Amino acid sequence: MVSTACMWTNQTDNDLLPSRPNLSAPAILGINFGQSYASIAVIDKEGHPTCIANEEGERQIACAISYAGEQVYIGNGAIPHLVKNGKNTIMGFRNLLGHTYDEVDHTAILTAPLLSTSTTPAYTVDILIPPPKQATPASRSAAASGTATPAPQEPIPSTKTLTVPEVTSLFLSTLLQSATDFLGVKPKACVVSAPTWFTPAQTDALRKSAEDAGISVLQVLDEAAAVLVGYREGNAGEEENRDKRVVVLDMGETSLGVSVIQASEGEYTVLAKGRDDKLGGREFDNLLLKHFAKEFTKKTKVALDLPCGESASVIDKRAEAKLRIAVEHTKRSLSASSGAATCAVESLKEGMDLSSAINRLRFDGLASSVYRQVGAKLTSVVQSAGLDLVQIDEILLAGASTLFPGLQQHLSLLVAPTTPVTAAIDPSQVIAVGCALQALHLSTLQDGLKAEDVLATAKTTVDTTSAPIGIVIPGQEGDNLAAVVVDSGAPLPVRRRVAIPVSSASKVVLELWEGKHEVKVEKVERAPIEKDEEDEDDEDDEEEEDEEIKTPITVKTKALGAVEVSVSKEGNLLLEVIVQRGGGLQVRAWEEGKEESADKFEV
Amino acid sequence: MATVVTLPLKLTTPPGGYSKPSVSKPSAPSSLPLYPAGPSFISAARREILQRTFEQDDAEITASREAAKAAQQDASDGNPFPGLGEEEEDSHVLAQDPKEWKKQDHYAVLGLGHLRYKASEDHIRVAHRRKVLRHHPDKKAAAKGANDDSFFKCIQKAHETLTHSERRKQFDSVDWNIEDEIPDFKDLASNPDEFCKIATQVFAREGRFSKVQPVPEFGDANSSKKEVEGFYDFFYNFDSWRSFEWHDKEVNEGSDSRDDKRFTEKKNKSERTRRKKEDNTRLRTLVDTVLAVDPRIKRIKAEEKAARDAKKKGVANGGPAKPLTPAEKKKLEDEKKKAEEAKKAEEKKANEASKGEREAAKKAKEAARKNLKKWKKAVSTVIASSNYFLPAGTAPSASTIEKQLAELDLLVDILEPEDVKDLKEKVEKAGSGEPAKAAIKEKVASVQSKPEAEGKFSEFA
Repeated sequence: MVSTACMWTNQTDNDLLPSRPNLSAPAILGINFGQSYASIAVIDKEGHPTCIANEEGERQIACAISYAGEQVYIGNGAIPHLVKNGKNTIMGFRNLLGHTYDEVDHTAILTAPLLSTSTTPAYTVDILIPPPKQATPASRSAAASGTATPAPQEPIPSTKTLTVPEVTSLFLSTLLQSATDFLGVKPKACVVSAPTWFTPAQTDALRKSAEDAGISVLQVLDEAAAVLVGYREGNAGEEENRDKRVVVLDMGETSLGVSVIQASEGEYTVLAKGRDDKLGGREFDNLLLKHFAKEFTKKTKVALDLPCGESASVIDKRAEAKLRIAVEHTKRSLSASSGAATCAVESLKEGMDLSSAINRLRFDGLASSVYRQVGAKLTSVVQSAGLDLVQIDEILLAGASTLFPGLQQHLSLLVAPTTPVTAAIDPSQVIAVGCALQALHLSTLQDGLKAEDVLATAKTTVDTTSAPIGIVIPGQEGDNLAAVVVDSGAPLPVRRRVAIPVSSASKVVLELWEGKHEVKVEKVERAPIEKDEEDEDDEDDEEEEDEEIKTPITVKTKALGAVEVSVSKEGNLLLEVIVQRGGGLQVRAWEEGKEESADKFEV
Repeated sequence: MATVVTLPLKLTTPPGGYSKPSVSKPSAPSSLPLYPAGPSFISAARREILQRTFEQDDAEITASREAAKAAQQDASDGNPFPGLGEEEEDSHVLAQDPKEWKKQDHYAVLGLGHLRYKASEDHIRVAHRRKVLRHHPDKKAAAKGANDDSFFKCIQKAHETLTHSERRKQFDSVDWNIEDEIPDFKDLASNPDEFCKIATQVFAREGRFSKVQPVPEFGDANSSKKEVEGFYDFFYNFDSWRSFEWHDKEVNEGSDSRDDKRFTEKKNKSERTRRKKEDNTRLRTLVDTVLAVDPRIKRIKAEEKAARDAKKKGVANGGPAKPLTPAEKKKLEDEKKKAEEAKKAEEKKANEASKGEREAAKKAKEAARKNLKKWKKAVSTVIASSNYFLPAGTAPSASTIEKQLAELDLLVDILEPEDVKDLKEKVEKAGSGEPAKAAIKEKVASVQSKPEAEGKFSEFA
């Protein structure tokens, strides 16, 4: 009885999909399973991860299931049913995974109600069961002439109870089907994303549901980790700074997640993380709703106050539902193109049409309060890690809501001017792409390793360096480290090699010091004499004319030792620092090409 | 792998009186959550699982990268066009007249002179493209302002010929750039290795015309009997596709005369047949010559004989055959010869002795056989003249005549020739009538006892 919303499009769309199984590319799937939207990515023929569209041509697949009579709509097709058939539409089920009924907040749910009788959260929906096949009479002549013609049988109204894991399985199986249709074969390896704040119980529940859906799950990966893998953080090349502090800012439809990560040569340790489950793309929707409702009232003199509350009239609710769908489209065009985005709804209320447009500037003005909230959340999470915003080396964006250029601009103003705000891979796809890449990494292990063994080595916490270790050149001015070799927060054991050019034959000494990250605050000349310490109020920047320049520095705290090398000619001096698992230190230094005659010390 | 980052630092010699700081331990490690994701995590896990240090891991990675590189190298060595190198473009090739295409060396034009009939279709395709890119008239016009496309025409003609399988066969058949000298094999026969080397080359060249591929190789001096026989079998049954259309005279385009055309075509056809025949004869003669002087045939024969002798000797001795010294061999052979001669002489003698007698007997028998018919006829004449021993006046019935003559035949068959002569004389003496019948009856009575006469005689019983 399950039929997806795309039932009638299957026939035509399948022709567009590659029907021939592609044997050269590994059948690998990455699933970004969000609260509101999901996306899937596979490894294409060239070996690159790509986010693919489902049969409906959607890359962002709504996590919604709607039961309407005999039909079941899964995905974006279920969204319109939210209005007229809300109590049979299931949405927002992911976050309930692994919870009991008592643990979840069941009052705020506007869709299908949760059953209070079951410990596992469960929904009850009204369905129609198709009538049983009518038994055909044995022979025509045998029918008694007196009997009445049997009435055509009606579908029987019934109810269906679905638990949250069942709903999840049902939804994930449609994602698997889309990927299988695209690849031509069933994916053999899959990584599913889970929110940063999921508890182990919730992760296990998600894994179980995915396996019930027939997906071979290699790993349930943290969304922030998926973003890091998706952007290939720390693996880009040798030119790049190997030890970086990055912020992963994931703003989806319903919530905002911020993680501060130490990426030390591609190994990711978590310094801090925070979440705001009220701040999401829905806020932008509401702003646009309000804006267009005002416009509508102004133009047509028909009163419309959106978003409307529970007690609003049916007409208003219908208008909201219509406008919400239109606004979703407007929002996408705003983030995609630089021109004005239109919003047109026929017969929004009382037979009057809405046709309006909004440009980016206007929208950024509307949304500035949301931008500020995002900035404030970012600042607070960074501070909770004991860091300042200038010490952040990069901001990685994820989630469709971060696509707004206004938001990206706002974020880049918060951090140091040299800090990039990266959206190089479409933020709405990066999690799925990261999951696919991680699945690829795990399924192409060398040296006969198995993915389970590799993942088994993962512990919840690992020992890391507690302070940066760097070089001090004897005779140098100041208290700073000349260069940091091993940054703090690097998982042990860690090894770093650096080369230092030497211009002429000489005897050189390098001291190894432990350091401490600090922020140096300098006032620009124009600033009035005003001795305030660390000004954390970012919004005041515009009002105050004075500017302060913050620079991250590393102050030397403790000498660890020194190495001495006599260099015979112009070339490179190589320095290797290894911090062992227990915290022991090994330092070697040698002239390039003369590794055997290295000067070393060990602690 | 350890990546090395170059730090933009300036190193100076330490100031005077500098002393190194004492060595101390870094601060105790802190604990942080780690994401089990990314290639670096996998590398760390690999080092942990396999208990490798950084150096060991580096060595392993280097080794595996080297292996991968080597594998890639191998793969790229499978160059689709090995040896399709550049060939120098001779001035006389470049200056060719496209109208003289029958005299044109198509392979040289495409720069495939070193491959010739061995060039694959891909070779030709690639070589053509290369030449076209270089010699396209547009390019030349742009470079020199020259409007000379004659060599381009040559290239196109060469490509057209060599990509058309039939035309290519015709050209290959008469490719005058392939040396077809046949050395004097008789001179070479004394050196089997050299002989085989040269013969291999010659027959590989000849083998290119075979419809059946692959062509067996000539082999070397130590080839087995089977191989050698297989080779000669193949070349005696050689099925060649070589044809000589290339030498056809052009039908005069100008003339409309059908007769002219037909005449030329006929001449061409007969010429082709003649050449083909000539070619087949040439090959046959070549194979004959080589077979006659092939040192391997001699070797094989000698080996077979030795094997036979050894077997023989082995049977006589009741044991395995021992190799014989040349002296022993000679002695053995001499003895055998002598014995054979003696036997022959004896036989001859015996033959000569009995010959005279036997010949006389034979002659007599022959004569008797010749006379039998005569005598029989004489007897039957007597029987007929006496009206088949029936009273005069009565006509003898056919059955009686037949019966009497059949009985006479039988009697003659049974009797010895001498007795038949006796019978004839007696019957002729008796004249006709009853006395003659009595004479016959007497003879019948004498043979009655013989099994073949039993119950067969009724008229003369």
